[in-house]
Amino acid sequence: MAFLELDGLTRRFGGIVAVDNVTMSVAAGEVRAVIGPNGAGKSTLFNLITGVTKPTSGTVRFDDHALTGMSAYSVCQRGVSRTFQITALFPEMTARENVRLSAQARHARRWQPWGGGTVFADAEKHADVALERLGLTHVAYRPAGLLSHGDQRLLEVAMALAQQPRLLLLDEPTQGLSVEETEQAVDTLSSLLADGVMTVLLVEHDMEVVFRLAHMITVLHRGAVIADGTPDEVRSNEDVQRAYLGGLA
Amino acid sequence: MAIKRNSLLFLAICVLALAPTGLPPYVMTLLTEALILGLCAMSLDLMVGYTRLLSFGHAAAYGLGAYAAGNLLLHTSIPLVFSVLLAALFSGIVAIGVAWVCTLASGVSFSMLTLAFAQLLYAVAFKWTSVTGASDGLAGIPRSPGPFGITFFQGRAGFYYLVLACLVAAFIFCRSLVQSPFGAVLRGIRENEAKTLSLGYNTRRYKIAVVAISFMLGGLAGALYAPFAGFTNTELLFWLFSGQVLIMVIVGGAGTLIGPVIGAAFFMLVSNMLSSWTDSWALFFGAIFILFVLFAPQGIWGLATRWRSLSSTG
Repeated sequence: MAFLELDGLTRRFGGIVAVDNVTMSVAAGEVRAVIGPNGAGKSTLFNLITGVTKPTSGTVRFDDHALTGMSAYSVCQRGVSRTFQITALFPEMTARENVRLSAQARHARRWQPWGGGTVFADAEKHADVALERLGLTHVAYRPAGLLSHGDQRLLEVAMALAQQPRLLLLDEPTQGLSVEETEQAVDTLSSLLADGVMTVLLVEHDMEVVFRLAHMITVLHRGAVIADGTPDEVRSNEDVQRAYLGGLA
Repeated sequence: MAIKRNSLLFLAICVLALAPTGLPPYVMTLLTEALILGLCAMSLDLMVGYTRLLSFGHAAAYGLGAYAAGNLLLHTSIPLVFSVLLAALFSGIVAIGVAWVCTLASGVSFSMLTLAFAQLLYAVAFKWTSVTGASDGLAGIPRSPGPFGITFFQGRAGFYYLVLACLVAAFIFCRSLVQSPFGAVLRGIRENEAKTLSLGYNTRRYKIAVVAISFMLGGLAGALYAPFAGFTNTELLFWLFSGQVLIMVIVGGAGTLIGPVIGAAFFMLVSNMLSSWTDSWALFFGAIFILFVLFAPQGIWGLATRWRSLSSTG
């Protein structure tokens, strides 16, 4: 039984088909990379799964529940957390406050308009764990807007992680990082994912990152799936070579 | 630091509480009005300063409260205190509907919708003679006694204490609100609404809630104004007043609660001084506003706290 199941998912923007009849199933505990050239529809696919964009047709099922048509916040409340391709943080809050606000969203009394000692204490507990797992403890009290770009990318992952998601969507976690920063980030991510508890969908441009982290790869080209399989299968697929890898593998 | 700040606030409240013993009646009247306006500005700060919901229609909250209280006091025998609280509640309930519509948009469109809504109420107030008295407004609004025959709030000093109590209670309420989990979400909406939504918060519901609370407290201010002045007129609903309250918030220091109260007092003081010298006082106040926006966007309270932290560290 697939954990996340996309069936015939399609999204048109005017005459452009951004996501074209995508069918895909992701097993629990799997790390699946979605790759493809710019404009292949990877980010739109994420937006369709997380309820930011409504599909023109097709369905999304997660843990045997339909997500299609749900708003972004209710998809998140079902246990789907994501990061964004373009860093999205609360720049004036400290790193810890960023993660705390994220963890607070999972608390039953997240809306409480008074006091909040226990709500904050619970959220801070999760926040501190998440910060530590991503090696950000030393910048916890710095405003998020003043962190280095690399730390900001990791902070977004920490925010998602603090929600203890069942499905984690990472949209180009190493986007804009230097070679060294990328290497560090991938080390951190691979140790995070090593226990295989979380199911992860990963959009990434950097093939080395993909081959290090992913168990399975789906290749998108002009919105449609052109290949789907293990890294080795995808690497040797001729369509993929032509469309994307360009002889790199 | 927190204790020091609390003791300063306590001192300020004590000074305000002693004001009726030493100040002449004319000044007491001005001070009462300043506190009412301060309450109104503080309520708007919840939206503008804490949630970055720029409302150009806060006159709607004030006017709703004023007309509701005016009608209750004129046509029923409900005591002053309860009339005022009921009118505030009424304003808050109406705001739920307003916010439901206005939060369909965001940014400038949100601001325009709030402005449009306030102007709609203004137009209604002009036509609905039986309820609003049209252009004559409501006159002779009494400060009804009770409950239990209490007449304390009818006098100048007593009414001042009622206003002061409302302001202090509203301040404590707002401060607890902005420091709560709810307040943390508001801050999230202020800094990055799309991210807050993606973290699993139904941001629209939070925005509707904060508009309702803001309108309730703004309505409380208006409800106090009606028996304070003894009359209401359509100017309370006019866009000019919305603009003035917004200026009080920004000049005083948005996102600080205390700042807007100071901004309101500053506005009263300066407009009174300037208007005794010149008819075109608004022009000069406009210049002051521009200077603040350019050189001290954190407002009077922001300047004061920065100065204090500078002098304590160095």
